[in-house]
Amino acid sequence: MANISGKVYGLTILSPIIEDNRLEICHSMELRWYLSQLPRDCRSPFAQLSSTYLARLVVMDDVVFVGHPAHEDHLKSRYLIFESNFDGDLDTYLRRMATETKEFVEAVWKHCVGFPGTNDVAAFLAYMKKCQLNTTFYFADVNDQTVESTLTALKTQAALAHFMEKHEGMPAAELQRAFREFYQRLSKSPALPRGGNQLRDIRQEKIPHD
Amino acid sequence: MTKIDVSDIQGFALKGYNFPYARYLLLQLGEPEAARAWLRELLTVVTTGERWNIKPATTVNIAFTHKGLTQFDLPLATLLSFPLEFQQGMKARRQILGDEGKNAPEHWDPAWREDRVHAWLAVNAQDPAALDDSCRKMQDLMERTRGAVVLQAQDACAISIDQKFTAKEHFGYTDGFGNPDFKGAERDCVPGQGKLGENGGWEALATGEFLLGYADEAGELPVAPIPWLLGRNGTFMVYRKLHQNVGAFRDYLAAKGAQYAGGKEKLAAKFVGRWRDGTPLELSPDQADPAIVADNQKNTDFTYGADPGGLRCPVGAHIRRANPRDAFGFNGGLVNRRRIMRRGLPYGEYVPDGQPVNDRDDRGIVFMVLNASIFRQFEFVQQQWIEYGNDARQGNDKDFLLGNHGGEGRFAIQGDTNPQNPPFICGSLPNFVELRGGDYFFMPSLTALAMIATRNVDPR
Amino acid sequence: MTNLNGKAYAMNAITPMKPWKTPILKAFFFILGVVKPLQKDLKNLSFIHFARWVSVGRHSLPHLSEQQPHEDLTYDYLLFFSNFNGTWNQYIDAFSSVLYRGLDAIWFWSEKYPGSRPVTAFKRYIALVQFDTDYYYNVYPHSATNDVKAALRVHDALAAFARTSQSLSPADFGKAWLELKATVAPDLGSTGIAPEGT
Repeated sequence: MANISGKVYGLTILSPIIEDNRLEICHSMELRWYLSQLPRDCRSPFAQLSSTYLARLVVMDDVVFVGHPAHEDHLKSRYLIFESNFDGDLDTYLRRMATETKEFVEAVWKHCVGFPGTNDVAAFLAYMKKCQLNTTFYFADVNDQTVESTLTALKTQAALAHFMEKHEGMPAAELQRAFREFYQRLSKSPALPRGGNQLRDIRQEKIPHD
Repeated sequence: MTKIDVSDIQGFALKGYNFPYARYLLLQLGEPEAARAWLRELLTVVTTGERWNIKPATTVNIAFTHKGLTQFDLPLATLLSFPLEFQQGMKARRQILGDEGKNAPEHWDPAWREDRVHAWLAVNAQDPAALDDSCRKMQDLMERTRGAVVLQAQDACAISIDQKFTAKEHFGYTDGFGNPDFKGAERDCVPGQGKLGENGGWEALATGEFLLGYADEAGELPVAPIPWLLGRNGTFMVYRKLHQNVGAFRDYLAAKGAQYAGGKEKLAAKFVGRWRDGTPLELSPDQADPAIVADNQKNTDFTYGADPGGLRCPVGAHIRRANPRDAFGFNGGLVNRRRIMRRGLPYGEYVPDGQPVNDRDDRGIVFMVLNASIFRQFEFVQQQWIEYGNDARQGNDKDFLLGNHGGEGRFAIQGDTNPQNPPFICGSLPNFVELRGGDYFFMPSLTALAMIATRNVDPR
Repeated sequence: MTNLNGKAYAMNAITPMKPWKTPILKAFFFILGVVKPLQKDLKNLSFIHFARWVSVGRHSLPHLSEQQPHEDLTYDYLLFFSNFNGTWNQYIDAFSSVLYRGLDAIWFWSEKYPGSRPVTAFKRYIALVQFDTDYYYNVYPHSATNDVKAALRVHDALAAFARTSQSLSPADFGKAWLELKATVAPDLGSTGIAPEGT
């Protein structure tokens, strides 16, 4: 199945955006404005949609004219592209979109043709699948993990690197005690925030260790 | 076979002179008429790449910042056709280069900080008397024509130990290995200095990686000013005055060297990838080997393919970062367009190991890079391989020696269960090197110098 | 800049294809086995998290209601979405230097594709066919794909060590610790902010 690589699903959705000449501010512009305000870090709806690795939303205005002798093609509608890479199966993901990130989904897809809302989950799934494109070739560098296992590994690596650096040259008995303590603390420590924390993330700031 | 006209190319771009003394005069140019008059006379004494039968007492070379070029009243369209990064200058590119914190312009020498340098006039000499004499002549010419004034004179000198000049820099490492070979350069190819050929072995790199007007490794002409003749046989130079905190380095090495089971000298070797005498770790992981160092056919002939785990030369060691050779796979294909030609000499008083040294003293290395594309070559290496570690699979870790660590750097040394080669994690790295100024320069050919001096430049 | 989130860059590209070429492209992908060597090279380059090519037929754009006008296109379109690490120039330089065979096989069928060498013409074409992302989310902005892979190796090594080292004597612990350190020492790079793109 070309949309899947190991445990990762590559979802590509192309939703036509409503064209309405009567509106003062057209749908695509409002949508773009909404997207520009949407937080992109741990406060993102995709942090809530916790199986998401990387996801994007793109308003595609038109196809491209590559120059003579190619013909000039134009689209009659604009399209919203939703590209997501997540672990797990499609139905679960779409269902979670409709139930756990309702507000976001409504705010975005209300600008799209034929959007049935999120109250009828089955209708929402049908709608999204109608807009789904099949991937011809999907590449995933790492495809045997989940988001959770990946974040756990990242936390472990940072903590262990820091521990090894700080305990260089410690004698074995002391080290063994220190390690035991370290490992217990590590197992109990909170997961890394999905999406990072942009408020903390100004230039020159490092990620704090355990 | 590329045949390059060495009489048209400035010698500094083609070869390291290996003269022990140098003075880099940083100039501010006068009014266009005066500057042109000065240049018309100067270019008659500029040293070219022609072979010497007898080594001259001194050499003279010249290069200009973009601001300097505007002083000659060249057509605007020509000035705007220079590569973007050269137009902006090094100070404007500081975020890309990581020149922040201790490396930020507020710590630079005034001439650099205030963006006033128009030209770099370099005099290299065999002895101090010849140096002073030549510089006096340069000064006379400037005064007579009113073409330029000296903002700062930067002296540099090879470090002398036991009354012999060495190739060492202030941290004690022997420098100067591994400058790239390119087609058409008259010196002999040295194994390891070129690129990896398709059937193993080493080949010279494309001329256009180091000189404008020739095909580069991608089979294209590097970005050059219009008209073409203005750029041809010229090149771009990056000048960086790197202050060295010798005291901090020696303290760090002593402290960690006491902990590291391989000993202090081996630890010093692990930081860089060569023992301090120049022996590559890949060729001799357990001890320095003067026989290898002395043999040009051996001292830079190695690859990393047999050492993917960094057991001999750590994965993040300085020379492995600066020239990864085959470490990224693809037979070096990702590295061939990132090579840089280095020149330089130490400055400031050398303090032998064991004697107290004050890091507030002015000492370090004048580091110069020659390349056809500052953006694609120097800036890339500086940004992606020195101040960052992703390509070396070292995450955000910076180069041990040059990294802008700010006191929190980390350097991991890989190892195994051999008691003399343990894994060892160095942390809390301070800034061993601090940037004190510099800029981007265009080093024109002799033809181009004449074009500039006679205002014979048509922008099309 | 909305194409970036942490260490990842979201590239979108669309290229037109004469409809009779589309099945050839699809065949190329699977029957001629272009896919396997390309996959291997992409993994070795190790700077793409996820990437996909999506072929969209000119009659296959989603049509949801009679109010929506039917599209009337001459060409089929090939969409390309990449999540990669590094700068735009670095990415395309790398493709042009070492991946050119695989890429040419895919984009050869697109109109006016100049080939991935020489690189300047290639970059110009990509800049023409690239369009920008409006919203980009990255679950691990401080981690490139190299960091992720290193972390997975370290995590596995530590888990194995923790299991077996519980009851060791200090001397044996010391030995086992050294072995762990030797195993993970290539993978201890710190994570953080990516350098500013040029």
